[in-house]
Amino acid sequence: MSTSSATEGRVEIDGRIFNPYSKDFIRSPWATWEKMVLEYPVAWHKDLNMWVVSSHDACTEMLKNNLFTPSYKAWEHAPPEKPEAEKNDFERSLDHGLFATRTQDHLRLRKLALPAFSKPVMGKIDAKIRDLVTGVFDEIGEPEQFDAFSMIAEKLPVRAIARMVGVPTNKEAFFHEFAVSVIKSTRINLPLKERQAAIQASLPGFAYFREVIAQRRAAAHPGDDFVGNLIGASEGDDRLGDYDIMAMIQAVIVAGSDTATDLHTYAIQGLLGNPEQYRLLRQRPELMENAIIELLRVGAFGKTPQFRFATQDIEFRGQQIRKGQSILLNLTAAWVDPQKWDRPRQLDITRRLDGNLVFGAGAHFCIGTYLVRVQGSLMIGELMKRFPNAELVNGNGDVEYDYNHHNARRINRLLVRSNVRPAQDRFIPESTVETSH
Amino acid sequence: MKKWICIICGYIYDEALGMPDHGIAAGTSFESLPDDWTCPECGSPKESFEPYVG
Repeated sequence: MSTSSATEGRVEIDGRIFNPYSKDFIRSPWATWEKMVLEYPVAWHKDLNMWVVSSHDACTEMLKNNLFTPSYKAWEHAPPEKPEAEKNDFERSLDHGLFATRTQDHLRLRKLALPAFSKPVMGKIDAKIRDLVTGVFDEIGEPEQFDAFSMIAEKLPVRAIARMVGVPTNKEAFFHEFAVSVIKSTRINLPLKERQAAIQASLPGFAYFREVIAQRRAAAHPGDDFVGNLIGASEGDDRLGDYDIMAMIQAVIVAGSDTATDLHTYAIQGLLGNPEQYRLLRQRPELMENAIIELLRVGAFGKTPQFRFATQDIEFRGQQIRKGQSILLNLTAAWVDPQKWDRPRQLDITRRLDGNLVFGAGAHFCIGTYLVRVQGSLMIGELMKRFPNAELVNGNGDVEYDYNHHNARRINRLLVRSNVRPAQDRFIPESTVETSH
Repeated sequence: MKKWICIICGYIYDEALGMPDHGIAAGTSFESLPDDWTCPECGSPKESFEPYVG
């Protein structure tokens, strides 16, 4: 099984087996992922210089083991820590983020933040962003065809997140600038200079939210929206600090606007590529939540989904992982692992999804899971209402990809044929038509 | 009969309902769930749960 062993007993692979940056892989990862989960579920990648964990069972085990941390500070190649006084708002927020904190602090943060991300609060966000969704579809109109990426996926998530964190409409351009800077600053495949420039560009946005938090704290009531809920969260005397809250806003922006972009394109691709499933969902809208998870599972748009770092030397499934080494959690391969899922690439919105890893597992389970379901439901609901007979142009939407995206198989073109009949050709019931006889 | 909430994902275990689809009968107390029982939503262990008042 070893291609060559630099370390005795270590299973090794290289770019000939798995290259997440190759165009062929990005377009069609399936054969590679099947090989990884079946033949190399845990392997050292000589070119990426990290472990890659790919099977469902191995990913599940690692996600639930806190000895593998998402904090980059545990990485053997992490830059030296700056003195606290020299850190800027971006760096302080990152330090307070859910990925960076120690286990005890992490549980405390999750507990305090839970109400703000809960189903009831996310349900209220439904009401707040519904007009954004209808607005995006109003902008599409009734063309013969449209691009689901530029008309829906690229617009909706950033607008929804801005609304969610309470950014006024006249500041949306400023917020979009902030969101792009925050995302770019965490793109490890960008040159250091570009990331540093993005960090600097994000600082006005952090200053803005620091001001918003101060105003809300000074008010009689912090508000019952997302930011208000974070400010008001308490456990006895324990409350979230300013940088805890800014870290949550930062995380929500990155996940909620960047990852959510792929949610929309892949959901549309999955449904319109499986017309009988699209029809089924229209007939049975109560399947919506399950459908969203299944669409994400089958779409499997992650390229380099998640990272972990070993906090100590540890044996994992027969492999010796050294303290500080990085691990790529190849979650999207696990999502279509044939050892876990029957007919893994078949979209089935009625499928039982017990034990799925679409939102991860364990302590770092996706905190935005309900936001994803709300955004996805609204978009799909409007799509079904406006374009019930839509299909993908040429069967595949003439799909194109952004091959340079930092961690996703980012679709940046997906053409949809609306099949909306022009207004003048629509059937008008007889009872409404006056006749001369 | 009490309710218990997972502080990681917000899933609520209701003792009165149990989880019949998972072989846990209605009326099963949280304490009597197996030690290796995990949250069905996020896979977190029992230690991630606390009593829920809501």
